[in-house]
Amino acid sequence: MVSAKRARRMHSRCVRLAAWAAAVSAVAIVGALPNDAGAAEVNEGGTLIFARPDEPLTLDPFIPADNGSIWAIEQICDTLVEADATGEGLEPGLAESWEVSADELVYTFKLRPDAKFSNGEPVTVEDVVFSYQKAARPDGTYAFLFDPVASIEAADDQHVRFTLEEPYAPLLSSVSIFAASVVNQEAYEADPERFGVEPVCSGAFKVEEHSRGSHTTLVANEHYWGKDEEGRQLPYLDRIEMRYVPESNARVLGLINGDFDVISTVPFNQTGSVEALPGVTLEVQPMYRLDYVYLNHAKAPIDDEKIRLALNHAANRDAILQTVYFGYGETPNSYMPKINYHCETVEPLDFDLEKAKALVEEAGYDGTPIELQIDTGNAPFRQIATILQQGWTAAGLNVELAEYDVGTAWGHTETGDYQAYVSYITSDLNDQDELASLQADQTGSSESFFSRYKNDKVVDLLAQARASSDPATRQDLYCQIQETVYHDGYSIPINFVPAVNAYQDHVQNWRNLTTGWWWLRDVWLDQ
Amino acid sequence: MLVLSYVLGRLVQMVPVVLGVVLIAFLTIQLVPGDPVRIMLHGRATDEVVAAAHARLGLDQPVPVQFARFVWNALHGDLGTSIIQQAPVTAIIAERLGPSIFLLSYSALIAIVVALPLALLSASRHGRPVDHAIRIGGMIGFAMPPFWIGLLLMLLFGLTLGLFPISGYGRSFGEHVVHLTLPSLTIALFLAPILIQSLRGSMLEVMTADYIEVARAKGLSERRIMAKHVLRNALIPTITVLAVNIGWLLSGAVIVEYVFSLPGLGSLLVRAVGFRDYPVIQGLALVFAMLVVVVNLLADLAYMLVDRRVLRA
Repeated sequence: MVSAKRARRMHSRCVRLAAWAAAVSAVAIVGALPNDAGAAEVNEGGTLIFARPDEPLTLDPFIPADNGSIWAIEQICDTLVEADATGEGLEPGLAESWEVSADELVYTFKLRPDAKFSNGEPVTVEDVVFSYQKAARPDGTYAFLFDPVASIEAADDQHVRFTLEEPYAPLLSSVSIFAASVVNQEAYEADPERFGVEPVCSGAFKVEEHSRGSHTTLVANEHYWGKDEEGRQLPYLDRIEMRYVPESNARVLGLINGDFDVISTVPFNQTGSVEALPGVTLEVQPMYRLDYVYLNHAKAPIDDEKIRLALNHAANRDAILQTVYFGYGETPNSYMPKINYHCETVEPLDFDLEKAKALVEEAGYDGTPIELQIDTGNAPFRQIATILQQGWTAAGLNVELAEYDVGTAWGHTETGDYQAYVSYITSDLNDQDELASLQADQTGSSESFFSRYKNDKVVDLLAQARASSDPATRQDLYCQIQETVYHDGYSIPINFVPAVNAYQDHVQNWRNLTTGWWWLRDVWLDQ
Repeated sequence: MLVLSYVLGRLVQMVPVVLGVVLIAFLTIQLVPGDPVRIMLHGRATDEVVAAAHARLGLDQPVPVQFARFVWNALHGDLGTSIIQQAPVTAIIAERLGPSIFLLSYSALIAIVVALPLALLSASRHGRPVDHAIRIGGMIGFAMPPFWIGLLLMLLFGLTLGLFPISGYGRSFGEHVVHLTLPSLTIALFLAPILIQSLRGSMLEVMTADYIEVARAKGLSERRIMAKHVLRNALIPTITVLAVNIGWLLSGAVIVEYVFSLPGLGSLLVRAVGFRDYPVIQGLALVFAMLVVVVNLLADLAYMLVDRRVLRA
């Protein structure tokens, strides 16, 4: 019997809270304690007005890959296993428990008997099988997460069985992906287009109105299975109005004006003034995001490891952290975001211009220019590129900045027609495997996430880590992987970027998860 | 009858213009690198996923076939399905058309109401301090970036005075008027100086014409000359200027839409291009082309109101 407890233990073991400002960590720890609302008095009801910079492009869970859509779907739909209130662990979702066979090849999930869709119909084993099979189909956008899964079937009318081809430690985390949300099969098949606007799922909220380009109004799903510790029906809120407010100044002004209860993505250069507002709390939470410079190992002079290391040693990350991120974040010692098997002991490539110069000389650099791509209009990334250019020029490298619109820059990156690109990566899952493999496994379809990085030893270690169910073994393997890939000069990691939100003090229990979205089912309004 | 056949003639002329615009938009976007499916999936897409999506969207067909299919479907009122939003393009555009047209009409109205008296004053007090003040004020309004003006208006009328909401579109006609006041004012501050400049210029030109001298010689009052003869004749070029700018603002109001969080066509276009959402880009090109032609047609009809001779030409 493997229950949520074990899953939580597995995932909490290696999570060490980052060295953000001490006060911030304190807030994060207190805020991250699950069920802290249970004991206290809560006011039920009310409408939360929440302004965010992205809008859901669709609410059909099988289509999107953008955070505007994903983070909304997370409030509306359930999976068998779900990220917990911190984002770092897993807890039961539609499955109240699950069992794993001794050979770790068969996972059997027991469905909650009381789970209902927002239209009042019960969630059946058929709906679950339909949804997971759809997500795992070869043309599914996140199908790669289910590669080792041989079959998904109904064991009886209460159990769903996943049979694997080989042991696959990240399975529970993969099962929690939004792209495998359990949908009402009948409603989905009747009209998938309508489903993208009015999804029928079993999550804490359901859609009342989805007005593209303007707002999405969610209301409490009265059929939701979730209860708090005192047996009160969740969610507490009646309604959440998610307003689409792309302009950051407009979000901040709306917060000051009292139009919004919460705003997400406060720009770093406004954190100071927002923090100073009376009655407003600034929330800074670590999340699975790494801003970094993609390097294309297939292009000269970046194909030379010495040059890649020189680029790293000539990168003044402290200056970037202070001027671009206003001190928020943490200088990375990894090629990927800080997820559950992050290794703190990997030695960072420090800022050392002399070392960089020596490396450039050793490499016999012939002056081949390095073009650093930036997305047009992205001011922080442009600043990062400028600071990098200074250091690299000082180390004796020729650097040119080139601005392209995001689509063009991304096109270059995918086709391999680039050398270096200031961008980022985020994770929707709290298991190390997805990004560790996506970014460093050359056998994947993205050629090590467009870096064209090749290291057979890493491929082998990744496969071992994926197949091992022992957390200590996995930790050890991921430390080796992180050490190797990072010190091969895979990329130029810039910052572990936190989520920054601000809310009015009457908003209680607001929490940003490390996976990016928000834990809204126990938010309440003290007014 | 004359008016009707004139309008019909103009509508027929619309067809090649619209087709041309759509064709150019179609070809241009094909030339730009970037693939909608790959951009959307941000690196997670396997080649099978991309190939399957291309087949589903018809992107694996040769470009002429894609274009022919687009035109054929468009003739049947179907602009396809947005790649990133998975919704009919006609619905997506229709939802945004209202706010955009509302915003532009409101802006044009404010601009005209401000520009007419100021231009009259400026022209009739030509070279005097009041004329200079209006011209300098206009230049300042025109030169300030709309992004910044928008924020200033939000601070002043939204936060400090609390008169208007600072973002969103509202739900009823009354709410739209209130919500769109600040954005329209932002656009009008840019549009009005152009109108004043144009109107003042042509009024000064008309004022030196022989027939004005004749009117003066006939003993007509200055006021009557200005209103009846000068303004009327000077309006025609100004209507052209207004029509051209409105055509441009249909997609050019994106900054204002962005600052005030309005669901308009400009921001839709910017995102569609960013994501290479071909069906939306093509649909918008079609709609913009039609709107520009219609605005110009309305401008021509407005000339007629001002000057019946246009009909005979």
